[in-house]
Amino acid sequence: MDSEPTTLLQGTLDLLILKSLLAGEMHGLGISRRIQQITGGTFVVKPGSLFPALHRMEEEGWISSFWGDSENNRRAKYYRLTKPGRKQLETETKRWGRISWAIAQALEAS
Amino acid sequence: MSRRKRMLEELDQDIRDHIERETQDNIERGMPPEEARYAAIRKFGNVTLVKEETREVWISVWLEQLWQDIRYGLRMLRKSPGFAAVAILTLALGIGANTAIFSVVNAVLLQPLPYPNAKRLAMIWSTWGNETRGPASGPELIELRSRSHAFEEIAGIWVTSGTITGTAEPEQVRLAMTTANFLPLLAEKQQLGRFFAPGEDRRGAAPLLILTDGLWRRQFGANPAIVGQTTRLNGNDFTVVGVLPREFKLLFPDSRMAEVQVFIPFLNDLEKQSRDTGYIRMVGRLRRGFTVAQAQSEAETIASQLRREAKEYAEQSLHLSVLPLQEDDVRPVQPALVSLFAAVVLVLLVTCANVANLLLSRSGGRRHETALRAAMGAERRRIVRQFLTENILLGCLGGTAALGIGWAALKWILSLQPEGIYLLVAAKLDGWVLAFTLMLSILTGIMFGLAPALSVARGDLVEILKESGKATTTGKPWLRQSLIVSEVSLSCILLVGTGLMIRTFTSLLRVDPGFHAENALTFQLSFPWSRYGTVESVTNFLKDLRMNLAAMPGAESVGGVSHLPLDEGLGNWYSYYWAEGAPIQLQNTVMADHRSTLPGYFRSIGATLLTGREFEDADDAVHTHVAIVDDTVAEQIWPGQDAIGKKLSVEDSPAGAFQFIREPVVVVGVVKHIQAHSLTSKGRGQIYLPVSLAPRPAYSLVVRTTAPMQTFAAYVQLAVKKLDKEMPVSNLRPQMDYIEKARAQTRFVTVLAGALAALALFLACIGIYGVTSYSVAQRKREIAIRIAVGANLGDVGRMILRQSGLPVIVGVVTGLATALALTPLLSGLLYGVRQSDPLTYAAISLVLGAVGVLACYIPARSATKVDPMIVLRSE
Repeated sequence: MDSEPTTLLQGTLDLLILKSLLAGEMHGLGISRRIQQITGGTFVVKPGSLFPALHRMEEEGWISSFWGDSENNRRAKYYRLTKPGRKQLETETKRWGRISWAIAQALEAS
Repeated sequence: MSRRKRMLEELDQDIRDHIERETQDNIERGMPPEEARYAAIRKFGNVTLVKEETREVWISVWLEQLWQDIRYGLRMLRKSPGFAAVAILTLALGIGANTAIFSVVNAVLLQPLPYPNAKRLAMIWSTWGNETRGPASGPELIELRSRSHAFEEIAGIWVTSGTITGTAEPEQVRLAMTTANFLPLLAEKQQLGRFFAPGEDRRGAAPLLILTDGLWRRQFGANPAIVGQTTRLNGNDFTVVGVLPREFKLLFPDSRMAEVQVFIPFLNDLEKQSRDTGYIRMVGRLRRGFTVAQAQSEAETIASQLRREAKEYAEQSLHLSVLPLQEDDVRPVQPALVSLFAAVVLVLLVTCANVANLLLSRSGGRRHETALRAAMGAERRRIVRQFLTENILLGCLGGTAALGIGWAALKWILSLQPEGIYLLVAAKLDGWVLAFTLMLSILTGIMFGLAPALSVARGDLVEILKESGKATTTGKPWLRQSLIVSEVSLSCILLVGTGLMIRTFTSLLRVDPGFHAENALTFQLSFPWSRYGTVESVTNFLKDLRMNLAAMPGAESVGGVSHLPLDEGLGNWYSYYWAEGAPIQLQNTVMADHRSTLPGYFRSIGATLLTGREFEDADDAVHTHVAIVDDTVAEQIWPGQDAIGKKLSVEDSPAGAFQFIREPVVVVGVVKHIQAHSLTSKGRGQIYLPVSLAPRPAYSLVVRTTAPMQTFAAYVQLAVKKLDKEMPVSNLRPQMDYIEKARAQTRFVTVLAGALAALALFLACIGIYGVTSYSVAQRKREIAIRIAVGANLGDVGRMILRQSGLPVIVGVVTGLATALALTPLLSGLLYGVRQSDPLTYAAISLVLGAVGVLACYIPARSATKVDPMIVLRSE
């Protein structure tokens, strides 16, 4: 999310992280790659935004983390979606749908 | 490892892993390793900043959750206002009582005395014979001062009374004679003028005087030009050199010290005085780096040197003991305050048990909610935290209300005005007390909340959700019942303590101190040596006054003495005595209080003359060498013999004030022992001498009268004025006042203990009632079935009573046993009652048992009113 204004990004970033974790558990870099991939490269999440967001969401109870062994036998921190996280994803998705519909309406109006 | 530290380490590792992976990817893309690493780090950005921002997230999330929990907690409390009101009120009572008692304990025991370097001040007591806290003689002070290294200053004070004249009204004042260095030890600087300078306390120095703020305002209209002026004290001119600060107070282990109004230097060469006349209280300031223990061992060494060097010290078997001033000051009140503090902590425990019970009853209803939250994925840690936050919130709400209750309770405590706790006036709700209350609020929140919070969070989800909505006997009944057991036993301990205090107080009411204070009016006169320089002038004045007063309507008898029993206003005089002819050795001597006595004294205070006669005017007129002793002295010196006619060596003062020589006197009377210092202990024996043999600067007159006290008080004022216009009358009051004063501390402790015990009993009753009602409500269905299948109503009532009454009985039994084990700690406060007083224990168990069963009975009765049709149909 390089050039995007951060005010817009708060909710969006959460939504994108939740969405990418829907595919399964992954580590931080994986999440950031996944977001880049599913948004067609529009959003690139920098570690400076990613880490605080992951920790905040973990504290909120939407995602949980565990330490696992990665491919090259290193201990790595993995994240996965929790039940409240799935619920949050639903809510966020609905909310985002409303917002984008409303903005589209607003832009179409002359 | 703390949670925070672990989180920090994990964050570090996570970041390292992130960069590592990026590097690996870069290498796979064909970059040289070094470059790949730099690129990854560059891409990651500022590592420190990321860490910082992540940490900030932790804090803000924590605060946010806290705020959420608080709002949620407040909402839950609003949803059950009855529960909230009872819990907050209970907590407010429990914590408020603690706030009040702590503010007293803090002011009296914990805060340092208001003196510069207060922690380095110590009293130095002279032990001679079996008197362990005796005053020192002049030479003793000088010797100690010149030999001690541990003390950088040693000062002395002697309190007597004096008369200030030449101002509006003549006034009898409490006068202290001190060494020049005394006041600078206790005050930073003067309000006006200066302290005494070194050497100004020597014989022949100019007479100087320092006023306390109170006297300066009352007698001198707070005149700032007072310094440098002269004022008449005891008929001599003294130059005022200073006025002490307003807040200055002499807090010494001796009640009369607190009331000193005027300070003058000794004006005497202390080293030249008699080694046998101990009258000076010594206070010293330890040199920096010296401990009290070091000073004590040094003082002991000096005492042994002195015993070797002078035969007087050897005869006295002189020892010295050093005690921190604060410790010594609070010595008489410490046991009482510590006991009260212990009692109020017990009240707090009862409070916690009560609120825990309330929470447990409520947690039944909340298990469903919690289970639901857990099912939705809330962590257990999070749920426990939320419950704890809620409970601490409850504790803090209770604590806030407690400040109001504590403030009111403290006001009430101060209004009781217990004698002898001088530092009590400083008790207030200050920062320390607020901090204590806050700490207590949080602590109680955790204490009463932890068990219910864990029990809720531990619940088995499926089970709870399955039984959803159904009222069942949830939670653990044993937990609730053990809370009742502890509540009852804690209350029981408090009640036993209070019972013993009440028994002590009633014993005090029944004590026969050797005199009858009822219907006796007393007042004090002092005779400045400038105007009453001869013994005859004093005896003549007293004789005329006695005759005039005896002629007043309602007067039954008039007498007087140098020291009234139970009046700690004047310095006590005591010395050692021996039968004439006996070798002067410690084992042959008797330590006895020394009283200068007017004719008619024993009749006036209602003492019992066992044999012989009272003094007569003729004794004073011809300076006869006679004495009256009490039965204690008679029994000690002449065991089993008739004391009348026997000879005794006493201090005689034929040449006027304070010039003592030892002369034999003949015993003419034996009087029953009078308790002069306390209602609870016998005290030393007493020797009474006629005024002419032992003149004193002040006398207390006693008039036994049938007239109302107020009326006779007016006669007294008139009669004294008629004889000497400049003679002030002080302490004009019924003699009962002194008795009341002597009972004051016991009354204070009894009243407070009673209030605390009543509070605990009240809380325990609420607890028992609450738990029983709850269990009846929970078992309605079971009861209904029992009744439906034909159980008789009495059986049902008895069943409930049996089950709820059992914890009460167990509580009473454990409470009595614990009380029995703890009461030895109260021994210093008790009098005339055994620690295991069967009457107290029996009464308490009856009262507590009856009240407890009553608290069960009401809900048990409601159980018998269950209508099985209604209950079973509603299922």
